[in-house]
Formats: sequence, C-alpha cells, structure tokens
Amino acid sequence: MLLPSLAYERPETVEEAVALLRATRNARVLAGGQTLLNALKLRIVHPDVLVDVSRIPSLREIAHEPDGALRIGAAVTYDELAASPLVRAAHPVTAAMGSRLVDRQVRARGTIGGNVCLADPTSNFPPLLVALGARLRVRGARGARETDADGFFLAPYMTALAPGELLDSVLLPALAADQRVGYETLQVGTDSWALARASALVRCNGTIREARVALGCGPVPVRQRAMERALVGRAPTAAAIAAAAALAGEGFDPPGDVHASAAYRTKMAIVMARRAVRAATEES
Amino acid sequence: MPDSVHAIELTVNGEPHEAVVPGRQLLVHFIRDTLGLRGTHIGCDSGNCGACTVIVDGKAVKSCMQLAVQADGRALETVEGLSGPGEEPNDLQAAFTRHHALQCGYCTPGMLMSATALLEQAEELSLDEIRRGLKGNICRCTGYVNIVRAVEDVAARRGLA
Ligand SMILES: Cc1cc2nc3c(=O)[nH]c(=O)nc-3n(C[C@H](O)[C@H](O)[C@H](O)COP(=O)(O)OP(=O)(O)OC[C@H]3O[C@@H](n4cnc5c(N)ncnc54)[C@H](O)[C@@H]3O)c2cc1C
Ligand code: FES
Ligand code: FES
Repeated sequence: MLLPSLAYERPETVEEAVALLRATRNARVLAGGQTLLNALKLRIVHPDVLVDVSRIPSLREIAHEPDGALRIGAAVTYDELAASPLVRAAHPVTAAMGSRLVDRQVRARGTIGGNVCLADPTSNFPPLLVALGARLRVRGARGARETDADGFFLAPYMTALAPGELLDSVLLPALAADQRVGYETLQVGTDSWALARASALVRCNGTIREARVALGCGPVPVRQRAMERALVGRAPTAAAIAAAAALAGEGFDPPGDVHASAAYRTKMAIVMARRAVRAATEES
Repeated sequence: MPDSVHAIELTVNGEPHEAVVPGRQLLVHFIRDTLGLRGTHIGCDSGNCGACTVIVDGKAVKSCMQLAVQADGRALETVEGLSGPGEEPNDLQAAFTRHHALQCGYCTPGMLMSATALLEQAEELSLDEIRRGLKGNICRCTGYVNIVRAVEDVAARRGLA
C-alpha cells in the first residue's frame, strides 16, 4: 500500500535527530518500522516527517557503563541483542528474548527501543525491563535524562516520553552473583504474541532476600508488591513460591476478548509469575 | 508536507544500481515496480506472511516492512538472484521441486529467500531450527512438511545437518 505523503530524514547523530524532532511539530521516530510502517499504511498516524534513527552509531552500541550496568542502544535489533557476547554474558534472559521474538525477518529489523516506545500491552520487553529495574536514557532538546522502566509505561501505547524526546538507550543494572532472572509467557504459538507474561528478578542464597516481579499483557506492566513481600525471607520451595504467587494479579486489569476472558488471563498470569520465580531460583 | 526524494545506491543481486526514490516508497514497490523484479510477491502487506521476503546485507527481511530509501548502501538479493534465466535452478530450488515443496507457488519466492538466509547463516541446522527459522513465512497450500524436508535435504547436502 502507498504510504501517506511524508518527508524522510536520516540523521547521523542523536543531536541531529533531536533537532529534527524539535523543528517539526509532527515528526516521528522511525526505528525498525515493524509496527510504524503498518500504522502508516493504516493511516493510524500522520507524521509529516519520519526521523530514521536506525543507523545512528551511538544508538547501535552495546557497552558497559562505569557502574557496571549494560547500556543497550535503542536501535539495537532483536537479532543483534541475541548475538551480542556482552548481553549473553551479563543478561542471558534478555539475550534469549531477542532470539525468541516473532520470526527471523522481524528480528532482523525490530529494535529494543521501538519495542519499549511502542508500549504495546502484549510486547515482550516491557515486563522484563520493569522486573530488571532497567533505566531508560532519554534525549531531548534540554539534554539527557534517565527514568525508571517502572513508571515509563503510562497506558497502552503511551509512555513518559515528551514530544520531541527520543529514547537513547536501555540500561540494565548488573546482576549480582546471587541474582537471577525468570521470564515466562503464555503464548498463542511459538515465538508468538501472548495472553499473559511474567518476569522475576530474585536474589536468593538459600533464602529469598529480594524479589521483583512484573506482570505483562495488562494495559501496562505492573509490579506485584504483595507477592514480592511474601517471597522475602522464605526458602525458595515450590510451596512457598506458590503461596506468594497466589497474591499476584494486583493492578493487572487485563482485557477480556475473543481470545480469553480477563479472569482467565489473570489466572494464567499467576501461573506465569509462579513459574518465573521458580526459574529464577532454580540452581543452574 | 511534500514527499521527499532521495538518491540511493545499492547492489541488486550483485549488480550496482543507482535510483531516485520517494521517501515514502516501500522497498517491495521499488523491487517490483521500479526494478521490474516481480518474483518478490505481496501477500498481506502487513508483515505477517513473508511472501515479500528478500535478503538485505545477508539477513532475510520483509520488504513490505521497510522503505526503499532504507536500502541505501545495502546489498539486496531477490529470488531472481538464485539462478539466472536459462540457468539450472540452484540446489535449494531443485530441492523444492524434488520434494514437492510448492503448489500454487505464491509463497515460494519468500520461502526460498528465508531458507537461503537461514542456510547461509547457520553452521548447524536442526529440524526445530528449520521450522522456527521459517516461521515468518506462511504457506496456505503445502502444510509445510515438504518445504521443511526440502530445506533439511539442502542442509544435509551442505554439511549443516
Ligand atoms: C508479524 C508481527 C508480529 C509481532 N509480534 C510481536 C510480539 O509477539 N511481541 C512483541 O513484543 N512485538 C511484536 N511485534 C512488534 C515488533 O516487535 C515491533 O518491531 C516493535 O514493537 C517496534 O519496534 P520497531 O523497532 O519496529 O519500531 P517502529 O515500528 O519503528 O516504531 C514503533 C514506535 O516506537 C517509536 N520509536 C521507535 N524507536 C524510538 C526511539 N528510539 N525513541 C522514541 N520513539 C521511538 C516510533 O515512533 C513508533 O511510534 C510484531 C510485529 C510484527 C510485524
Ligand atoms: S507481504 Fe510482506 S509480509 Fe506479507
Ligand atoms: S504453495 Fe501456495 S501458498 Fe505456499
């Protein structure tokens, strides 16, 4: 289908991209295009200018920050994430996610930044980033700012990015030796979209010291504080984890539709939360 | 806002090309209408079916899901590049014939390009990896079994199985 009339720009630096976003009221960032091009075809969005950030070198970098966090440029594609030795070593669950999304063609183009900024309720990365305590580095006319992933997702397809801002990178805090990550999904098919997702970051040395659990596939990813509190201080037994998971579902508020009722999605989210914590506490 | 236009340079099946494209032109339209290479098909036009799959810089991508201008500086391979007119089909094309991996043929160019990239990128290819690797390509006729067999056959012949 023919796209609406528009101007295409390919800035070479983040500064140039920010200037372009500022110069045109109705400009939009183009990353992997694996959602945006469909939105353009369907006339859901009407930008005058597309600012293609997919080749900006600094947005394509993966590197460690001085504090040990792993910085992943917003324009890193899923397959690059999966192949990166740095990501595989420091955040294996994140790397695995890059190799299990959609299909090879979409993985070759889709970006972590696009996935986050789209804020589709069913997207893979938002619940993971909330569980990991990721920070998002944002660039705008007034410089750089950082914001927590928990708090970035305001509503379906709505984020804390202000007009004229772009996502520069995702910062994943280093995992301590006793911290592990779990991620579980009830998928409709292999590597497919989902009815319920849960991710957990657990610190455990025989006893659970700290836990962050987030559910996905509701309007926005949500932390499960009651479940987290119930886990702390317990030995990671199947019974203790199941008892804590029974408290999950807080603020989840999933839709009910032709694919599944809201009640079913909530039940399945609880199962995913339990499995995610088990995965994060199993001895490897 | 008027359309922008862009001078691009790329290689198409190994041959250098220069073109001037509107910013809003999809790569698949550039391939079919500007280059006249009609082997690349349009099925869903929404990133779901894979009929439009081509290879850009060694990776299979859906050409309805990127802009022509984004292929600037890249190496583009289409199904026409697998074997030229009057040439014998290449090993993958021959395997598709041998295993009856096509019926109506609509999905075939996309399947061939996905499988080409898959075979070229892998050092080893299990049955599961072949199935998963072709997930982005929908076939409404064959039931996939013969397509997977054809790719397995080539993987074995190339020492990847
Ligand atoms: C067939 C199909 C199935 C899919 N299934 C899934 C799935 O199961 N799970 C899943 O998670 N995703 C799925 N997706 C979506 C895919 O992962 C998208 O590619 C992704 O969500 C958006 O990333 P992108 O890089 O393509 O972004 P684009 O499409 O380029 O952009 C998406 C949005 O984010 C904005 N944006 C992008 N980058 C930035 C930035 N750096 N700063 C500010 N704004 C930015 C754009 O302006 C746009 O509004 C699917 C896509 C397809 C085609
Ligand atoms: S036509 Fe491009 S994926 Fe279907
Ligand atoms: S052979 Fe007809 S769609 Fe695949």
